[in-house]
Amino acid sequence: MPDSTKMGLDGANDSNIPRTEAPEEDDSFKLKFCTVCASNQNRSMEAHDRLSRASFPTLSFGTGSLVRLPGPSISQPNVYEFDSVSYDHIYRELESRDPRLYKANGLLNMLGRNRTVKLRPERWQDWKVGIPRLEQKADRGSKGTEGGVVDVVITCEERCWDAVVDDLLNRGSPLNRPVHVFNVDIRDNHEEALVGGKAILELATALNKAAAEERQTHGTDGWHMGAGAARSGFDERVPDILAEWQDRWPTLPALWTLAWF
Amino acid sequence: MASTSNGTADTLAQLNSARDLALKDASYYLQIVPAVLALVGPPAGLDIRRWGAEFLAEAFASPSLAAERKQELSLTVLDLLKEYLDTPGEDVVVVKSVVQAAASIYPLVFRHIIYNPTNTATWQKMTAIKSSILRRMDSAPPGVRICCIKFVQRVVQTQTPGLIADPRRPEHNEISLALVPRDHPIIPPSNLEAETSGLLDRLLGILQEDISDPLLITATLNSLGSLTRSRASIATKIISTVLNFNPFRLVKPPVTTKMKVVVRSIERTTRALLQNFAKKNQNHALVGRIGQHIEHLHHARVAMFDDNNRKRPAPVEPTDGLDQAKRQRLGAEVTDAPSQAQEVLPPPGSRTYAWLFNRNPQEASANFDVKAITPEIVANIVLPLLIYADKAKFDHAINATQARLLAHRRDLPARTALDAAVTATHKPPADEDEEEYEPDFPPAETTEQILNRLDNAPPDELPPERPPPEVALGPFKFPQPPPLTEAETIDCSKDVVNRVFGVMAELDETPASKAQRPGFNRLAASGYDRDAWVTVITRIATRGAAGLENGIVKAEGEGERSIARYKSFSISNTIRDALYLYVIEDFRRRIDVAISWLNEEWYNDRIMAKHAGDAGPPVKHYDKWVLKVLDGIVPYLDAKDKVLIRFLSEIPGIGVEVLDRVKKLARDPERVSLAVNAIHYLVLVRPPVRELCVDALEDLWRNYDDARGPTAKVLNKWRPHVLQEVPNGIGAQVKSE
Repeated sequence: MPDSTKMGLDGANDSNIPRTEAPEEDDSFKLKFCTVCASNQNRSMEAHDRLSRASFPTLSFGTGSLVRLPGPSISQPNVYEFDSVSYDHIYRELESRDPRLYKANGLLNMLGRNRTVKLRPERWQDWKVGIPRLEQKADRGSKGTEGGVVDVVITCEERCWDAVVDDLLNRGSPLNRPVHVFNVDIRDNHEEALVGGKAILELATALNKAAAEERQTHGTDGWHMGAGAARSGFDERVPDILAEWQDRWPTLPALWTLAWF
Repeated sequence: MASTSNGTADTLAQLNSARDLALKDASYYLQIVPAVLALVGPPAGLDIRRWGAEFLAEAFASPSLAAERKQELSLTVLDLLKEYLDTPGEDVVVVKSVVQAAASIYPLVFRHIIYNPTNTATWQKMTAIKSSILRRMDSAPPGVRICCIKFVQRVVQTQTPGLIADPRRPEHNEISLALVPRDHPIIPPSNLEAETSGLLDRLLGILQEDISDPLLITATLNSLGSLTRSRASIATKIISTVLNFNPFRLVKPPVTTKMKVVVRSIERTTRALLQNFAKKNQNHALVGRIGQHIEHLHHARVAMFDDNNRKRPAPVEPTDGLDQAKRQRLGAEVTDAPSQAQEVLPPPGSRTYAWLFNRNPQEASANFDVKAITPEIVANIVLPLLIYADKAKFDHAINATQARLLAHRRDLPARTALDAAVTATHKPPADEDEEEYEPDFPPAETTEQILNRLDNAPPDELPPERPPPEVALGPFKFPQPPPLTEAETIDCSKDVVNRVFGVMAELDETPASKAQRPGFNRLAASGYDRDAWVTVITRIATRGAAGLENGIVKAEGEGERSIARYKSFSISNTIRDALYLYVIEDFRRRIDVAISWLNEEWYNDRIMAKHAGDAGPPVKHYDKWVLKVLDGIVPYLDAKDKVLIRFLSEIPGIGVEVLDRVKKLARDPERVSLAVNAIHYLVLVRPPVRELCVDALEDLWRNYDDARGPTAKVLNKWRPHVLQEVPNGIGAQVKSE
């Protein structure tokens, strides 16, 4: 169930961030995640927020050509450039235009949340994979993503999944690094984004558990001698983890592929 | 134990700070990589080995380090990579990273060897690493196998000729077999070609064999994308293999969630790869098949998963249908099916465009005039049809049409000098060549191109200066429709009026908007709500045909028939009748409509009177309709209705006849006070008609017994002298009250 009070807290008040970032978890192994939606505002940012609160290294991107936000009418969207305008700037601009409207449709709330998560919306296609990300230290979830790569990409719409997979094919996989690309189909509204964010966190936690278990199993011999799911490697367990997750979240149709950076 | 783990932690902290340095400035890799090599080798602890392997993979993948620098570094790390791989039972995580690093290094070492043909030792190390990785490809845990797949892909890409962008600056060219001299002592291209071909087969084997692990399949598909993009020489082979790969062969009952997710994912990955290729190579021979295959995949998936309520389990059927051998045979049959038998041409005189393009042997369709359909509809029909058209059939139809056209032109008598020359020499002109050649083009046009060509075809091939007289189609014009009869006109007009009121009925149902009503400054009928519609209707009724009706009145002298005709129907009066009925139906709610209507009538009467000129007095509508409405309302008023007072106070003109209608109310003892109150109200608020109203009250006092009491009070104020005349001793009664 969507937790509408949570959204308000996220947007208006970030005093609870330090509380959820449990310091004792920092040493344990963490997969690196990347969430993707169309405008890097609602769904991917909700998931970014959740994952980073669970202290997962997290990046987020949008696959659209521009950041598009609802405006006063359907034909007058608010349009911004990716990678240049900050969430804070958008927040101030919309607040000065029509505070009542943008409060009522949840945009200010969302942007308020986003500006506590990271600096600005970023475009997937312009992401230089593998270039170190050291300037984004203030972004939540930046710890662990300094290398500029991730292990798992989670898109929030099939269109975005197609765009990501196609873009990875276009890049010609120069890094030779495997990346699991998931899609979790989430409708683009605040309530669904909350539900989807919860589901993504659950998927991420399950994946991370499997990856951590792989690292506890020493050597390939251990893999041969062992038995049970926990003994097999992380990558081959991904389809099973996804299927179990899909059974729990049948309303969020999923896709997955093993792609290459 | 504690000291070891402390030592490990310290080392890791140092290593991590070294890595941070390299992330900040990639040039530090040149110092850090050689420095850490001694620390992270196989004798080191697991955590440090993992760190080392991951660091190497990261360093050689880093886009911020120039390829030349990486190439220098690559020679130094080969020993360590080999050592990791040779350690029995090495950790999975370490091996994964080592294979990734090896995939990044392979092209670098390859280029080094191209330009250093004597460095056999280095190449031997690289070859040893390669064999070690290839050995693992079939037996290692899947997580390692996917990295091996990627390594093989990288080797294939390196050892296949690529594009030479600039022969003068070899360092800028992509590393590929094309850079290797034919007589290279260590890596002779012919040997490499053979090896590469074998490796590619191994890679593609994952899609051909009975492997059901989605991890391996998607990893392979996604790694192939880089090969199809950059290596045109093997792209066709790869795409053909992918086209023969059927994701649905993995479906075996029972259909579980995992199977659904996995098969859907593989299908979408296949589609992504094919679409990526088709987008980049729009003229490739396989683009047509790719389109078909994607359609097939889509339909197969829908048939399999989205339609679970069919009676028999679906899987077997589509799997068979998509089986390669079978599909080929079917395809072959389809192309062969339309018989190649020479068709009998009709005599030249009876050939038409319809004959030329008609592919349907039935007579009926040949006689159908396509021009009867508007171009918009044609476009709507044709575009979707073209998308779903069977490529083979479509090509066949084009060829057949072309054959007909050619046959037709052959039969034509020579008309121009050129034609004469051609017939004389039996030598086709240049453009004829082109046309005959055309069917041999690989059918790689998009639907749009085909459309364009079809649009352009006839004018191109039948030049305007010699239009073949046999093809006789003049411009087609619809005959004028017969003029409407009077009855039809009237019926139509009534229909129009009905429609107008149909809108009113709809608007009545929608709740009135709570928006503030603008005052006098509003623009009438600007808001699409009920009020606006009322304004429109009343104005059509009152003003719409106002001038015209005057003309009719003027024309009265012309003949009895015309008068009768116009009197029998007038759009204005029809609307008035409808308005009247509309108001009466529910007069309490619709009194506002009546009032605005009557105001319009009154206004129009005034305007018409002003402009009457010599046409004689115009027809007065207001008086007639105000009485009619009043007559309609009055019988249904009850004692406490406020509608009457509102009506009387808001209509623009009140005459004696109106007051007579009100007075009649007083005949009903229950409604006496209603009548008196209404008239009293007028006395108070409408001074211009005060005298009339007081007269009416006096009349009530005199002639309606029941009205005496109420009227007396009013008359006492306005005409006390009336009360003094005491007829029949009634005044005394009043006094006694």
